Amino acid sequence: MTMDVEEVKRRAGPREFSPADDLPEEYRTAATRMLEFHANSEIMGAYLERPFIRQSPSLERKLAFSAKVQDEIGHGQLLYRAAESLGIKTREEMLSDLANGDGKFLNCFHYPMTEWEETPMIAFFVDGAAMRRQATLKQSSWEPYAHAMDKVCFEEGFHVKHGESILAELMNGSRKEQRLTQAAFEEWWPRILQFFGPTDDQSTHHDFAADVGLKTMTNDELRTAFLNSYLPKAETYGLEIPDEPRIRQNDDGTWDVVEDDLDWEEFFSIAKNEYEPGLGQINARKEAQAAVEWVREVLDDREAMAAGGHTGQAAD
Amino acid sequence: MIWEVFRQEAAGDYHAHCGNVHAPDREMALLFAEIQHGRRKPTNSLWVVPQDEVGEVDTDEAVFGGTTDKSYRFAQTYSVEPAAEEVEASEEEQTEAERKRGDL
Ligand SMILES: [Fe+2]
Ligand SMILES: [Fe+2]
Repeated sequence: MTMDVEEVKRRAGPREFSPADDLPEEYRTAATRMLEFHANSEIMGAYLERPFIRQSPSLERKLAFSAKVQDEIGHGQLLYRAAESLGIKTREEMLSDLANGDGKFLNCFHYPMTEWEETPMIAFFVDGAAMRRQATLKQSSWEPYAHAMDKVCFEEGFHVKHGESILAELMNGSRKEQRLTQAAFEEWWPRILQFFGPTDDQSTHHDFAADVGLKTMTNDELRTAFLNSYLPKAETYGLEIPDEPRIRQNDDGTWDVVEDDLDWEEFFSIAKNEYEPGLGQINARKEAQAAVEWVREVLDDREAMAAGGHTGQAAD
Repeated sequence: MIWEVFRQEAAGDYHAHCGNVHAPDREMALLFAEIQHGRRKPTNSLWVVPQDEVGEVDTDEAVFGGTTDKSYRFAQTYSVEPAAEEVEASEEEQTEAERKRGDL
């Protein structure tokens, strides 16, 4: 018999529910929304960084960027599987929604990234913010989500430290490198502050997701934890924190970000996939997906053949 | 017919291989698995899988992790300022993996 929402809330705890449980549609829909958003973000982040396999200034950076991009695509695949196991949407549906502009993903990945000096803004700050969040999702009540986070967090430490190593190198480099890195930071910093979304009272989906244990920390708590670690780091490397958006640490360690200093109109047009530069990102990935359509067709044919035959040797 | 058995100790844990059973069909395999593998050790769930259906690739055929130096894939390669708590935790897991592979 399908569990009712009250029972789900009562039982909610880390890794409590698995595909063996008959969960109410409300839970499965909310979990699908979170997982699909997370999976889409992994994929779109990978596409944003992919050009830097070519643009890396050294062989070491090239190797690291290709490993990182490979990891991110893998994270996307893990998360689509965890999402699919909820029975609401298939992987194909989620991937084609992402291609046709219906799939939602992280604000930061809607902006184009063209210069090497911008790479630590993603690889250090955005991966750092993502990792802060992902570490808490190891406690998610949807077991396949938590299991995916075990593997993702294992890999992410490399991403963040590699990003930090690029930042350290640039900020110890020529004056031109330092200037360009500071400019990139000023451009990306407001977007990074918006990573955790607007303050809680404006977030519509949090309450239910928290009540059923899908997530365990509020956006405000996550933003505070992120700023506590990463703002001092920015300063350590000699980055100047812009005067605006104004941010202020309270006596209890929490942070106030003056929301009026951030562009929420842009944020919400991004959230609806209506922001013009973001459409470029979406369409570029759509074209890449279309270009390898023939590969998926070959795989589907093999699967159909294996299902029809008796050998079960489809993987030869 | 042989069935491989995977036991999960508690809800939320991974199903880990714990042995196998002889059984003529799935129903009996589940019963035998329960008796042999689910009685003494803490058990929340068991998976049974026909042995023939398990694919395997091992170190005779594959070089897991590749043949070249892949240290660029690991957090401990990048020495920067002390990392955030969750990044440190990831690095510890990676260092542990490196040790187990015999690369340290
Ligand atoms: Fe990732
Ligand atoms: Fe990452």
